[in-house]
Amino acid sequence: MNNLRENLKEQIIEQLNLEDIKPEDITNEGDLFGDNGLGLDSIDALEFIVLLESKYNIKISDPQEGKKIFKSIDTLASYIEKNK
Amino acid sequence: MKLIASCKINKTGVYLNSQLISRNDLSESNWITELYYDSNKEYPKFHKMDNLAKLAFLGFLFLEKKININNYKDDEISLIFSNASSSKTNDLKYINTYTNKGNPSPSLFVYTLPNILTGELAILNKWYGENIFFIQQKFDPKFYIEQIKFYFSKGAKAILAGWVESNDKNEECFLFFIEKKEGKLTIEKLNKLYQNE
Repeated sequence: MNNLRENLKEQIIEQLNLEDIKPEDITNEGDLFGDNGLGLDSIDALEFIVLLESKYNIKISDPQEGKKIFKSIDTLASYIEKNK
Repeated sequence: MKLIASCKINKTGVYLNSQLISRNDLSESNWITELYYDSNKEYPKFHKMDNLAKLAFLGFLFLEKKININNYKDDEISLIFSNASSSKTNDLKYINTYTNKGNPSPSLFVYTLPNILTGELAILNKWYGENIFFIQQKFDPKFYIEQIKFYFSKGAKAILAGWVESNDKNEECFLFFIEKKEGKLTIEKLNKLYQNE
């Protein structure tokens, strides 16, 4: 399961073109969005939707779900584990 | 118009009012990121920016030490910027995402205009003044002085102006801050500052 989290960190860095960030800079439980986290915003939420579809074949049908799913690496990994 | 301060950033270092103030031993590949970490500023959004916005952001961080933006209301500072290559570097990265990687990247798409950097500066400072971005063949001090006069005539009290360039051969940022006060800014003076003389 930790592999999934580490893979997600690498995929997020690649998908969002965060060239300065290393996987170890991203914690499992820290916020991904907002100024206290990685500083991601609604545009990046689109990237997350693309990532879930392309890498995990998971479609998010309700955009409102995204806020909870994309909160942290842990929440994202849990959602993938339940839905893949 | 009175020149208050200027800042030039390129791979050789950071120059504030033509004086080298920061390291000049930056690496070839990620010198812009090195300058960000040297600044000790925490601004997570920096990592998402394209190099144009990163350079403008860093230029402002250094310039801020020599100017007092608190003297102005949030709509009294205008932004006048230009460069030669528009957002070409980022545009090519964006094109690569839909031609080779399968999906157009929204996070790269938002930087496919050079004037996004003026938006980033406005967001950083919560400014609501006028802003404009020109594409020109090279840094043209005469043009800037004409534009500065125009914006002062339209009510601006101060102007943050700059040339921010990013292409495959060169990355540089030159910012200068002008106040609507007694003083003379000449084409020669502005050109010398840009040339770091």
